[in-house]
Amino acid sequence: MNKIKVKLCMGTTCFVMGASELQELVDILPEKFGDKVEVQCATCLDLCSSSSEGQAPYAMVDYTVISKATVESVINEVERKLKNGQE
Amino acid sequence: MFIDIDCAQEKKYNQNTYGDYFLSKRYPDKDALIAVLSDGLGSGIKANILATMTATMLLKFVEAGADMKMACEVIMNSLPVCKVRKISYSTFSVAHCSEDGEVKIIEEGNPKFIYISDGKVIEPEYTVIDSDTFKNRHMHVYKLKLKLGDRLVFCSDGVTQAGLGNPELKLGLRRSGLMRFLLEKINDTPDISSSELSQFVVRIAKNTETDRKAKDDISCCVIYYREPRRALIFTGPPYHQEKDYEYAHEFYESKAKKAICGGTTANLISRELQIPVKCNITRSVGKLPAVSSMEGVDLVTEGILTLTRTVEYLENGFNEKEKDAAYELMQFLLNSDCIEFMVGAKLNQAHYDPNLPIEIEIRKNIVKKMTKILEDKYIKRVTLRYI
Repeated sequence: MNKIKVKLCMGTTCFVMGASELQELVDILPEKFGDKVEVQCATCLDLCSSSSEGQAPYAMVDYTVISKATVESVINEVERKLKNGQE
Repeated sequence: MFIDIDCAQEKKYNQNTYGDYFLSKRYPDKDALIAVLSDGLGSGIKANILATMTATMLLKFVEAGADMKMACEVIMNSLPVCKVRKISYSTFSVAHCSEDGEVKIIEEGNPKFIYISDGKVIEPEYTVIDSDTFKNRHMHVYKLKLKLGDRLVFCSDGVTQAGLGNPELKLGLRRSGLMRFLLEKINDTPDISSSELSQFVVRIAKNTETDRKAKDDISCCVIYYREPRRALIFTGPPYHQEKDYEYAHEFYESKAKKAICGGTTANLISRELQIPVKCNITRSVGKLPAVSSMEGVDLVTEGILTLTRTVEYLENGFNEKEKDAAYELMQFLLNSDCIEFMVGAKLNQAHYDPNLPIEIEIRKNIVKKMTKILEDKYIKRVTLRYI
């Protein structure tokens, strides 16, 4: 099974809107899901400049964009993806 | 050419202040600098006041437009004589250096400076001006033309007389001894900075003294003509997107040390040149995103927040416990002489979202503020280019 890739945007807008807290996921996700998940930080995901995508902070779980991302919402999306993958 | 200047000092043993005084000032609009080294009679507070007064007065004189020779003559003729020792209150050396290599030097009472070019000592010619009022006072006036890689080493007699009275060095280190050490050091490390070389001389002088206790105030000032250390900072995406490749290429090909400040900017360069950006997974330090890395680029940071914090550090000094990205950027800037900013003029709409919790400044304004501090406080040469 392919690993789920989580990308956290560390651009200016995302950072001030709460991405600094999202960085906890760097520790939380591997603890919770082991090697099924890979976490990366990105200099900028370029999502804030196109307002159609919602609001910062942004994260991506594989190709799904999560707007107004929180630690919980990212974990939920990873769980949903893992569940779907097993079915 | 860039003039690298620095001075290192050591107090006389058991004294709580320096009896020599060094002063230098750059005049960026005239591409020149003036440096003064003065040795006050005796040591401690009294010597410090004498030396400080002499050096400050000289600098102010020349700054106000007085001819350097005339200013020195006035001071030489008016310095009072110590009642006890019957010698003048202080000695001095002044150097006026232009970036094209023209140097004018006047010395009164200090040991002769050492002029090193191509690994050899040159003894330049000088004219002597005698004092009208005091028979034992003479000024030496030099006019030199320096080239890239040349150095001038000034020192107080605390250096040349270090070790005076030792069984091995009856006359102390002397100018000839200092020359030997200098040539050897420059031969080993030809690019040694003025700061390191002056510290080296002070260390040598101190080590020559019996029990490493300085018997006089020790000062050494080094002037070094070298290529400037250039830095290039790319921040913000260019206004015309079709020029992205052109600017990215220009940035990457530059021989200067390179920094990128901005996530979007880093992505842009990465995209145009097909070089991946590696974002650091370690948690960011303090309240700034961590630095990233890119092959061929010396530093990659986030944009506005990091720049704003760097301005704070440059203004008020770095007092944090942990070194963050702004600290890295500050070091990057301070380790350069000529700094060029490529400032992309494209606006990121998201930065103007009223929901943003803190004030995000406009890039142009921060860079302008940074430029002013770098020029005024740190005497850097800064050029701004809006793209």
